[in-house]
Parts: sequence; structure tokens; C-alpha cells
Amino acid sequence: MSAKISESMKELVITKIESHMPSHLKLSIGSYGNLSKEEMIEHVKKGDEIGQQIVRVHMSFLKAVASGEFARKMVSVENG
Amino acid sequence: MDKGMIITLPRNDYVTEYISQYSIEIINQARIKGVPVKELKDKNANREEFESVLRKLNYSLIVFNGHGSEVSIEGQNGVLADKANSSLLKERITYARSCSAGSILGRICMKDSKKGCFIGYTLPFMFYVDSNWISTPRKDSVAPLFLEPSNLVAISLLKGNSALHAHENSKKQMLKNINKVLRRGGNESFLFAQALWNNYLGQVLIGNPSAVM
Repeated sequence: MSAKISESMKELVITKIESHMPSHLKLSIGSYGNLSKEEMIEHVKKGDEIGQQIVRVHMSFLKAVASGEFARKMVSVENG
Repeated sequence: MDKGMIITLPRNDYVTEYISQYSIEIINQARIKGVPVKELKDKNANREEFESVLRKLNYSLIVFNGHGSEVSIEGQNGVLADKANSSLLKERITYARSCSAGSILGRICMKDSKKGCFIGYTLPFMFYVDSNWISTPRKDSVAPLFLEPSNLVAISLLKGNSALHAHENSKKQMLKNINKVLRRGGNESFLFAQALWNNYLGQVLIGNPSAVM
């Protein structure tokens, strides 16, 4: 992922992780292994490859919600 | 091509331990359907064994569990599949539960393929686990939200469905699980929905959508 991640995006993602992730959960993301809440936040702060992936996933979801794509898919599966 | 499944089951870290343990549902489905299965488990999930088995057994379905990149899929301790041996997958149905291999390797495998199909991910495959159950993954109630929809690709194929049906069935289950976690609520629901959405967006089918085992 080559797109530059702004500090405001990082802050948004860190806030989401801090407020939504219980400490007993870990995120498995390929060969990066199982990441704890603290490790996820650390990677996002550093802006390294893992941090960029985490930010990308958050932003991708938010964009899908904002564009209406997410709602359309959810409606389609409810009606399907 | 003979009806049969070759499945890789590496277990060299917690991620591969989880995806390999949850593959028992795929293997059970094969048994129910009487489909022969060749397991490449632990140290047998190595390149030499993989190539030897694929040359010997003309099985129609290959299921990879393992780490991946855009250009390769790993086994227990090294690369199993890449451009150099991609022809072994050309006319088979491949499901790769591996990060990113759907973006380049899948296309290489399916180049000039007539009957084959590759279902994989163009993005890193993600799932959450409950760390209380990390040494007993099958007791984890979080991981199945992510791993069961992905199992559905292989399970649907084993039931005799087409590659396209299997692919869509799996993706539909991801959306259903998003619905489930959002309706259930809880702090973590937003994160679960994001990860499922990532897998939903990333899962691709390359090649023949009508392929059946």
C-alpha cells in the first residue's frame, strides 16, 4: 500500500481500536501473526506495513458505509 | 481429472494452527461425500511432497491453508506454490485460504487454462480470535465467524456445486455474519464487521466459473 496515511486517519483508527477492541481479542492478519490491541495501535502509530493494512481496512469499510455500497450489499443478503 | 481433494494443513504458528484446525469441517464434508482426500499435514506440507502428490494424484480440488503473498503460497516452512510450479494447478479447482495470492499467483495459474479455476484473496485474509482459546482453537467462539464462511468455498464444491456458486455462497455467508455481529452489538462488532468486509472484498474467482469437481 503506497498511499500516504495522514495523522488524522491514524488518530481515527487508533480511537476506534481503543474504544472497540476488548483486550482478550487478537487480530490475525496473514504472516504478521496474532496482534493484540496494543500491538495494533503501535503499528498504526508507526505507520509500518501492518499499520497501513489496519488503516486500509478501517478506511475501506468507512468508505463502503459512506458510499451506500455496504447498505446495498446488506439489503441484498437480507432479501436474498 | 479425478474427483478428489488435496489439502495442505501446515501448523507452524497460531494463524496456520487455526485455519488448519478449522479445515476439519472441509475434510468431514469430503468424507460424507465419499471424496478421496490427501492431507499434506505439518512437515509434509513441503514443496517436494506437494509437487510429488500433485503429479501422482490427478485430483480436481486443491485447498491451501497457509500464509501467502501476491506471488506465492506457503506450507509448513517454505513456499509450496509459485510461478515455477503453477502449471500443476492450471486445470484444477484451487481454493487458497492465503493472503493476497488471488492478485497475481491466481492469474498466473489460470493463464491459458480451459477448465481450471482459482478462488483466493487479493487482500490479506483477516480474522479475530479470542486469546483465551488460542491453544484450543476449536473452542474459540470468535474465529468461526470468519473461518466458517471461508470453509464454505470448499464445502460447496465438495457438495457438487460450481466454482461460482461456491464463491458466491461463501461471500453471502460473510455478509450474513456481518449482519449477525452488527445486530448482536457489543464493542467489538464494528471491528468484526470491518474484517469480514475486508475478506468479502478480497475474495475473487479467476478462471472457469462453471468448474465442478
